[in-house]
Amino acid sequence: MDAVIDAHNISKVYNPDTIPVYAVNNVHLHLNRGDFAALVGPSGSGKTTLLNIIGGLDIPSDGWVEINGVNITGLPPNRLIDFRLHNIGFVFQAFNLIPVLTARENVEFIMLLQKRPKKEREARVRELLTAVGLEDKMDIRPAQLSGGQQQRVAVARALASKPQFVLADEPTANLDSQSATALLDIMEKLNREAGMTFLFSTHDRRVIDRARRVSTLVDGRVTKDEPGTTPSTTA
Amino acid sequence: MLFIIAWRNLWRNRTRSVLIASSVALGMWAGLFIMAIYFGMGDSRLRIAIDNEHSHIQIHHPRFADDFEAQYSLPFDSLNRILQQKPEVKAFSLRSLTTGMVATASGSQGIQVNGINPGAEQATRGLAAFVTEGEYLDTERRHPVLVSTKLAEKMKLKTGGKVVLTLLDTASNMTSGAFRICGLYRTTNAPMDELNVFVQKDDLDQLIGTSGRLHEAAVLLHRDDALDPVFHRLQRQWKGYRIERWQEISPETALVLSSLDTYSIIFIAIILVALSFGIINTMLMAVLERTPEIGVLMAVGMNRWRVFRMVVWETVLLAVTGAPAGLLAAWITVAWLHHTGIDLGGIMGDTLRNFGYASIIYPILPWHNVLQTMELVLLTAAIAAMFPAFKALRLKPVEAIRK
Ligand SMILES: Nc1ncnc2c1ncn2[C@@H]1O[C@H](COP(=O)(O)OP(=O)(O)O)[C@@H](O)[C@H]1O
Ligand SMILES: [Mg+2]
Repeated sequence: MDAVIDAHNISKVYNPDTIPVYAVNNVHLHLNRGDFAALVGPSGSGKTTLLNIIGGLDIPSDGWVEINGVNITGLPPNRLIDFRLHNIGFVFQAFNLIPVLTARENVEFIMLLQKRPKKEREARVRELLTAVGLEDKMDIRPAQLSGGQQQRVAVARALASKPQFVLADEPTANLDSQSATALLDIMEKLNREAGMTFLFSTHDRRVIDRARRVSTLVDGRVTKDEPGTTPSTTA
Repeated sequence: MLFIIAWRNLWRNRTRSVLIASSVALGMWAGLFIMAIYFGMGDSRLRIAIDNEHSHIQIHHPRFADDFEAQYSLPFDSLNRILQQKPEVKAFSLRSLTTGMVATASGSQGIQVNGINPGAEQATRGLAAFVTEGEYLDTERRHPVLVSTKLAEKMKLKTGGKVVLTLLDTASNMTSGAFRICGLYRTTNAPMDELNVFVQKDDLDQLIGTSGRLHEAAVLLHRDDALDPVFHRLQRQWKGYRIERWQEISPETALVLSSLDTYSIIFIAIILVALSFGIINTMLMAVLERTPEIGVLMAVGMNRWRVFRMVVWETVLLAVTGAPAGLLAAWITVAWLHHTGIDLGGIMGDTLRNFGYASIIYPILPWHNVLQTMELVLLTAAIAAMFPAFKALRLKPVEAIRK
């Protein structure tokens, strides 16, 4: 199979000199193209830390991360920013969108950073916002959107850069269950139809059940790595 | 898009932005207004110095300038002829000068006696306009003398009255002559008024023996900017004479004008410093408030240079929205006051006049100074933007997003 993410014995120690916190402890993680994987664990188990390291936002104390065969651990900061821009889509738990930009502009912005031509940007923004069901909310600013709608715009933005994969850190944490389900439906559809690879963290049971692969983190260690209980490939 | 974000960010905290923009406007207005008053004072001082006091250029015998003795004189005819031929020269006055004394029952007072041709003197320094009582020297009366109101008060002199002047002649002997007071004058320069009395050149020449000679040639030009070229040409022409520009004749005026410039620069600088603190403070607050947002932007791939530019844009926009308002306000204020004049006589009495200033000030605002101030405000904003921009740069996305 085609490996997108290869994380090799990743460890992260906070405050190594005072009271060390082993947030992530010797974790291996391997993701193939087309995966729809969940990183599961209670609060404080190291999910955010691990996702940040995989996304090149944080540097591990030990180990290294390969994305599509490129070792990103140790890339100079500016190269790393550029690498993120072109290879990784991010959906965060909150504060995803720029409040002064409309939904359309939030999605377009990332392609502007990539210096994509105007025609392509406009077409793709429309396509993506339609895919997340917000074609009639394109010119509305985030404050006028519900939490679920905001996260859908964030998903559209994450895909706009045509990344290798999308990292989503507890994307449903602030959503009611209906919005959470809707968001998962969209992510799953994008995974199925566009073949986009997703790695999301959660401790929400309903979300875990949708994953086709589940890695469980406890105290910074992977305790289980197994296929999800309800594979949706049969849908 | 960076620009759009910056512009819209400006309106997120409307009150704060309006506050800063209006303080920029106020600072700009105050700076320009004070500058206009300084320039107005400077300009009026300059015009008085040239048009009513020293003219552009003066020519003396080199030793006369040092010793002020009547024996050091220059030939009248050749100077008269040559100055008449110069197209840049608007008017000139050839004077005989000597020191003397006026004595009355009220006491005695040292004076400087100016022997002038009334017409030439009028054309050169507009003396007739300052006559407050009686007539100017172009009178039918014989042996007229024009004295200042200040001297008249002190010595109890009256228009139409007789006065005896004791003078030093070319051989430094005392001589005296009786004159009739034709009128009183009063200029903006009180100390000079007290010292100078004016008589007709022929009268003075007869008394002190300087017919066909002169001590001082005062030359008024059509344009200020012709000063240096004409000066250099005259210098080449009359190597033995002492030829001076108004700056050299009255270095204190030149000094005062340049110190007005310095004051206005210091004033503007203080305003700009205050302004930049306000801007820095506001923008640091803005960056702090938006830490998570900036963190997301950096996380998804906005590089540091772009983050930097975004913050600088916003700061400069903040300044730019305020500056034109201040500019307009200053322009209106100055235009209006230039029309009406600001009468400081009421507040300051004769203080300004004692220093040779007119007590009514007409503020002026030269265009290039306005542009300069605009540039300075923008530059200040751009420099002030550096601090918050660097602050934004140093944010680490991981930490920013966790906030
Ligand atoms: N910047 C930090 N400094 C010190 N400890 C941290 C820091 N960030 C996270 N931690 C600690 O690391 C552990 C893992 O945190 P995190 O990755 O946020 O877990 P999760 O996302 O699963 O809740 C927690 O114990 C947390 O307190
Ligand atoms: Mg977390």
